Amino acid sequence: MTKIEAIIQISKLDAVKDALHEIGVEGITVFEARGHGRQKGHTEFYRGREYTVDLIPKAKLEIVLADDMVEKVEQAIVAAARTGKIGDGKIFRSRIDEAIRIRNGDRGDSAL
Amino acid sequence: MSTVATVSSELRDLYAGESAAIERRFAGDGNGRVAVAERTALVDSILLRLWSEVVSSDPAAPKNFALVATGGYGRGWLFPHSDIDLLFLHASGNTEIEFKDRIRRFSQELWDLRMKLSPATRSLAECERLDTNNVEFAISLLDCRYLAGDRELFSRLREKSVPRLIARDAHSLIENLGELTRTRHHKFANTVFHLEPNVKDGPGGLRDYNVANWLALISAMEKLKMWPDPATLLPVSSRRAFEAALDFQMSVRCFLHLRYGRQDNTLSWDAQEEAAARKIGTPDSEIASTADWMRIYYGHVRGVHRVCTQLIEEIPAAWSSLYRQFQGWRTKIPSNDFSVVDGLIFLQQPGALQDPEKLLGLFHFMAEHGLKLSTTTEYKIEQALPALASTPPRGGELWLYLQETLLQPNAADALRAMNALRLLTLLLPELKGIEALVVRDFYHRYTVDEHSFLAIEHLHRLKESKSECDQRFAGLLAELEQPELLYLSLLLHDSGKGAASDSHIEASLDLTDSCAERLDLDAIDRETVRYLVANHLEMSAAMRRDVFDPANVKSLAEKVGAPERLKMLCLMTYADIKAVNPEAMTPWKADNLWQLYIASANYLNRSADERVHTRPRGDAGSANLAHLHSLAAVAGKKVNAFLEGLPQRYLSIHGASDVLAHTEMASRLGQNGVGCSLKQVRHWYELTLLTTDRPFLFASVSGALAAWGMNIVKANAFSNAAGIVVDTFYFTDRFRTLEMNIQEWDRLKKSIASVVRGEGDVARMLRDRMKSEKGNGTKVKIPTQIEFDDRSSAHSTLLQVITQDRPALLYRMCSVMSKNDCNIEIALVETEGQMAIDVFYLTSNGAKLSADRQGALGKSLQAELAVQ
Repeated sequence: MTKIEAIIQISKLDAVKDALHEIGVEGITVFEARGHGRQKGHTEFYRGREYTVDLIPKAKLEIVLADDMVEKVEQAIVAAARTGKIGDGKIFRSRIDEAIRIRNGDRGDSAL
Repeated sequence: MSTVATVSSELRDLYAGESAAIERRFAGDGNGRVAVAERTALVDSILLRLWSEVVSSDPAAPKNFALVATGGYGRGWLFPHSDIDLLFLHASGNTEIEFKDRIRRFSQELWDLRMKLSPATRSLAECERLDTNNVEFAISLLDCRYLAGDRELFSRLREKSVPRLIARDAHSLIENLGELTRTRHHKFANTVFHLEPNVKDGPGGLRDYNVANWLALISAMEKLKMWPDPATLLPVSSRRAFEAALDFQMSVRCFLHLRYGRQDNTLSWDAQEEAAARKIGTPDSEIASTADWMRIYYGHVRGVHRVCTQLIEEIPAAWSSLYRQFQGWRTKIPSNDFSVVDGLIFLQQPGALQDPEKLLGLFHFMAEHGLKLSTTTEYKIEQALPALASTPPRGGELWLYLQETLLQPNAADALRAMNALRLLTLLLPELKGIEALVVRDFYHRYTVDEHSFLAIEHLHRLKESKSECDQRFAGLLAELEQPELLYLSLLLHDSGKGAASDSHIEASLDLTDSCAERLDLDAIDRETVRYLVANHLEMSAAMRRDVFDPANVKSLAEKVGAPERLKMLCLMTYADIKAVNPEAMTPWKADNLWQLYIASANYLNRSADERVHTRPRGDAGSANLAHLHSLAAVAGKKVNAFLEGLPQRYLSIHGASDVLAHTEMASRLGQNGVGCSLKQVRHWYELTLLTTDRPFLFASVSGALAAWGMNIVKANAFSNAAGIVVDTFYFTDRFRTLEMNIQEWDRLKKSIASVVRGEGDVARMLRDRMKSEKGNGTKVKIPTQIEFDDRSSAHSTLLQVITQDRPALLYRMCSVMSKNDCNIEIALVETEGQMAIDVFYLTSNGAKLSADRQGALGKSLQAELAVQ
C-alpha cells in the first residue's frame, strides 16, 4: 500500500476531488494547510499596517491506496491541480505497512 | 454443576427473557417510565436471588453489611443499557475485610450476566465524608435505596449520615455540582438546540432534570435537617412541565438504548426520523414531520435547562452576602418599569406588559444588562401575548425597538428569550419556519434559529476577544455605520431554510422583503439587508478560491461594490461560519477571510475611478443603472447625462433616490451655480454639493466646514464628464450648532455656497475658529504615512495619507495639493478613531503626477502635517 500526500491550491480542491472520484477513489482526508515552496509570501497593506503572509494557504490531501492505483491517482491529481504557475503544489509518495478498518477489523487492501 | 453455577444459568435466562419482554412491551406502548421501572424491578430480583446464594440466605442479613442501590438505579431509573450503581455498605472497616471475597464473587456473577456494574465499597463513616475529588459519589447517595442486608445499617446511612453530610457540606456540594454542570453545558456550547442532541448529558437532558432535583433537595435538606417531601422540591410553576419532560425523555432514552443496543444517548438524524414515525414520547400528538417531533423535544429540554441553570445561580446567591451586594448593585440599574433581584428581572407594575412599548423595552433592558427574566415575568409575558397577537406592533416603531435590542451586547440572549416565549415569531412571523428547525447538514451543529442567534452573539463577543485575529474583525465592526442592519441580516439570512424551496437564499429573500415591509425600513436600508442576505455565501465561495489571486479579488470587490458593504459582508461571513460549530472558524479560515477582505478593500480604493458609461456593458455598474432607469423612466436621459463619466464608486455609494436628487440638482445649476443639500443621517450630517469643477474647491469646502466647528469623518468627491462635481461630506457637529439652532442650517449652506463662489475667506474663518479653540490632547499618536501609487489607476496617481486626525486636516491637506497644482479627481476620506485614512486620486494637467511632482507634494504634505 502507498500513501499519497498532495499539497494543492485551495481553488483546485473541488476539481481534484471530482477527478479522484471519477477514477474510483472513495476515501480522502483533507487538511487545512499553510506553507510555501518557491512561491514565497504575500504582503498587503491596509490602513497603514503591513499584513505579510509568509505561509500561503493550501489544501493537503492524504490518500492511502493499493499499489496498482498509485500512478493513476497521481496523474489525476496532477491533471486536475495544474495551472502551470508557481504554487501548484507537490505530491509525496510513501510506503504504508498496514491498514485496519476499525469497524470490522479488515486488514490490508480490503480495509482501504 | 455447583449451586452458584446453576443459579447463574437460571439468572442469565431470566435476565435475557425478561429484558426481551420489556423491550417488546416498550415497542408496543413506548412508555419509557414503565420500561425503566420494570428493568429496575428485574435487576432488583436478580440481585436478591444472587445475594441469597452468595452472601446470605436471609435477605435482611448479615449484620453490619448492606447492599444499597445508588444513583440512577437507586432512583429506579434503569434504562436498557444503564450502568448499575451499587454500594456495598459496611458498618466499619472490619466487616469490609470479612465480606471481601463474597463481594468479589457477587460482583463477578453480575459481570458474567453482562450487567454493567459500577460498584463502590464504603464504610458508614466514609459515606459521611465529602471527597471533593469524587463529588459524584456523595450525589449518588441522594438516591440511595435499600436492597438487602442490614436494614438498620441502611437506615443509619439514609437518616443520619446523608443528612449530616448535607448539613455540613451543602455549600460545597452545590458549588461542585454547579461547576460540574457548567463544565458539561459548556461542552455542548450552552445550548439545547443541537441538531443531534444528547438526551442524557446535553443541556436540558435527563442529567439536568436530576441536577435541578438534587440542588433543590440539598437546599431543602440543609434548611430542614431531614429529607423533604420530594413532591414539593421544585417550584409549583415548573413541576407539571418537568414531569411531562421526564416522561418524554425517558421514552426517548429507552428508545435510543434499544435502537443502538448499547448505552448511546445521541438522538441522531436517523433516530429522530424513526422516533417521530413511532411517536416516541408523544403517543397522543399529531406529528406531521420529524421537524415537528424535534420541536416537541426542544420544548421539553428548554424548560428543564432553564430551571436547572436558574437553580445553579439562585441557590448559591441566597447564601452569599457579597453576591447579594453585587446583585443589589445591579438592581440600581435605572428603570421605572423593572426591578432586578439576583440577576433576574421582575416587573414593577404587573399590568405594564399590556403596553407593547414596555414589553419590547423589557427585552432591550435584558439585552443591555445581560440579565435573565424571572419565572413570574415570563409568566406575565405569556399572559400578555394573546392581546398583543391581535394587533402586533409593526412599522418604524417596532424596528426602532428591535434595532436598539440588536445593538446591545447581550442581544442574542434577549432574542433567545423572545423566541422561547414565542414573542419573536409573533413580531416577525418570517422567522416561524426556522423555529427549532433541524436541517440535516454534516457541518452544522445547531438548529437554524440558534445558528442565527449564535452568529449575532459571536459578533458582539468580538469586542471582548483577546485574539489578534478577532481584534481585526472587532475593528471592522466598530467602523460600521449601521451595524443594526448587519444584525438584522444575520437574523434573516437563513430564514428561508424553513420554506419548501430549492434555494434557501431565494426563500430568505422573500421573507426578508416581507420583514422589511413589516419594519417599514427605508429603501436604502432595505436594499442593504437584501444585499447581505442574498450574498451571505459570496465571501465563503471566494475563500474556496485563491484569496491572493487578483482575478478572484477583483471579481469579489466588483460584486460588492462599496467598502461599507464589504465590511458588512466580511463580518457576516465571519459570524456565519463561526456559528456553524465551535471548530468551524479555524485560525486558517479567519486569516484567509481577513486577507480576502483587505485585498478587496484595497482593490475598491484603488479602482474607484473606473467610470460609468451609460451604455450597459455587463459590468457592476450596469445593474445599478438598469435599476435607476426603471425608477426614472421619464428622467432617463437626464440621469444618463448626469451619470456619464462619474466613477462606478459613485453608484455603489449613492442609492437610486440620491442619484435622482443629484440629477435634479445638476439640471438646475446655472453658470457658476452651486447646489447644496444638508440632511441629518443618524449620527452625523451629510452635506452634498454640486457645482462645476474649479481649483481649491474640495479644500475650500473642507475648510469652511472646519471653520464652522464641524468634524469631517468621511467625504467623497467625484466628477462627471460634463465637469460637474458631486462632493459629499459627512460630519459631526462638535458644538451642536445645527441641533440647537434650526436657522443655522440655512446659514451654513449659504456660507458654503459663498466659499465655493470665492466670496468667503476660508483662511480668515479658520483663523477665528482656531483662536477660540484650545488644542485637545491626543490619546494615541498616529505617525504620518504618505504613499503614492501609480499602478492602480489608468488615469490618476493615488495618494494615500494616514495621519493623526485634527481640526481642519482635510482643508490643510487639500490646500497643499492645490498649491502643488494637483487636481483632486476623487477623494475617499475616512476616519477611524483618531486616525484619518484618506485616499486621493490626483492628476496634474490632466495626467498622472510625475515623479518630481510626487516628491514635492510628499515633502510639502510631510511639512504641513508635522505641525499639529
